Amino acid sequence: MIDFDFLLDTLGKLLAAVPTTLGLFFLSLLCGGLLSLAIVAMRVSGYPALSWFARGYVLVFRGSPLLIQLFLIYYGLGQFEFVRESPLWLVLRSPYACAVLTLALCTAGYTAEILRGGLLAVPHGQIEAGLAVGMSRWTLLRRVIAPVALRQCLPAYSTEAVLLVKSTALASLVTVWDVTGVAQQIIQRTYRTMEVFICAAAIYLVLNFLLVRGLGLLEHHLSPHLRARPSAAPIQARTV
Amino acid sequence: MTSTPVPITLTTSDIHKSFGSHHVLKGISLDARQGDVISILGASGSGKSTYLRCINMLETPDQGSISLDGESLLMRRRKDGRMEPANRAQVERMRSRLAMVFQGFNLWSHMTVLQNLIEGPMQVLKRPRAECVEEAEQLLQRVGLFERRDYYPAHLSGGQQQRVAIARALAMRPQVMLFDEPTSALDPELVGEVLKVMRALAEEGRTMLVVTHEMGFARNVANRVVFMHQGLIDVEGRPADVFGAQGSERFRQFISGHQERAAA
Repeated sequence: MIDFDFLLDTLGKLLAAVPTTLGLFFLSLLCGGLLSLAIVAMRVSGYPALSWFARGYVLVFRGSPLLIQLFLIYYGLGQFEFVRESPLWLVLRSPYACAVLTLALCTAGYTAEILRGGLLAVPHGQIEAGLAVGMSRWTLLRRVIAPVALRQCLPAYSTEAVLLVKSTALASLVTVWDVTGVAQQIIQRTYRTMEVFICAAAIYLVLNFLLVRGLGLLEHHLSPHLRARPSAAPIQARTV
Repeated sequence: MTSTPVPITLTTSDIHKSFGSHHVLKGISLDARQGDVISILGASGSGKSTYLRCINMLETPDQGSISLDGESLLMRRRKDGRMEPANRAQVERMRSRLAMVFQGFNLWSHMTVLQNLIEGPMQVLKRPRAECVEEAEQLLQRVGLFERRDYYPAHLSGGQQQRVAIARALAMRPQVMLFDEPTSALDPELVGEVLKVMRALAEEGRTMLVVTHEMGFARNVANRVVFMHQGLIDVEGRPADVFGAQGSERFRQFISGHQERAAA
């Protein structure tokens, strides 16, 4: 029989951990997003040294398992005396901060490539039109390149955001009490794996549903030019 | 004829440009006086678009000088011998006075028609929004697209997009307008509406350089015709002279080729 009391109790405990999961997500999304801007700027800068650094960064953080990155940062760096004595230790000794740092470093690699794809998709003619009216490089970036590129990026970026929500579950392996961490705690006490993990999965599902809807609305709002033309205005009669 | 000298607005002299080993422009010198409508003709590959793009520095000439209204564009030589603009701000300022209309329209796709028109005046010329909107709406009336001001470029036909692009160029209040094959990407039935707008601009005394394949425009609207061949000016002069007995043998071949294609 289904034990509703147990399910409700579990759900309540797991929901109490949602702020931790959301915190991991939003902090790493923000830091990773800012970092990805720097990476993509280096990648397209035209300076070989910067460009190769950015390529190397993407290769490392996209090419190696996130779990290993997390263990290297949380357990690995603590091995070194100079790390423990540096001010960085204030951050690196905290499991939560290590999880945010790892997630941010990793998502920055993916996001930088998404942004680069968006930049490449900006029609060259629209850039030339900006140059031809006398826009400075900054104005051109702000008014033409970024708005067009970001719209191109949004579908791929929402996938990356969904992956990031799910990746926060790995933080439980370095003792962060997020939704997955709390779920494992309950299972260790009760041995009821099925019910607890189904509750946890449902929570991630709902979070991602809301996230995808939100980003979808944003995309809809930003791209009226990709939809059918307004029907209220008169359309010229066409003779066939 | 020479009693009232019209001031020279744009001077280009000895413009050279190569792409790799391909020498596209081999020394083009051309002046435009105020109110001149100069048609630049030539076979594809003759360098006419490249020349136009050198005037506003979308291509950097390897050699030569450009001046607009008496202000010379400052160039400097790089280590590899090529030239580059010495002062980016000056390039931007000169570009804002030289409007360009492209073959592919190049409207900003994420902005409405009205936003396309006010973007340059507001962001580059720093003029107040209300003033820009008012002027933009007048320009849209002129090109017959006032009702489409809230449309996005993707929702307009090619001819409409090109008329918006011309209005966008006019919104900058330019001293010289550069047209780079403005009708070449249009379906034949849409060419007329764009040419009509260009003819009206010519009649109000705008200074225009028009790279085109429209012989009717060159013959009837322009006051000067320049025929380019393999990176050099082959012949130039008043349309009546160039199209008449004083044209070169090459120009006659070019014209007859055009007529054959039109007849085919």
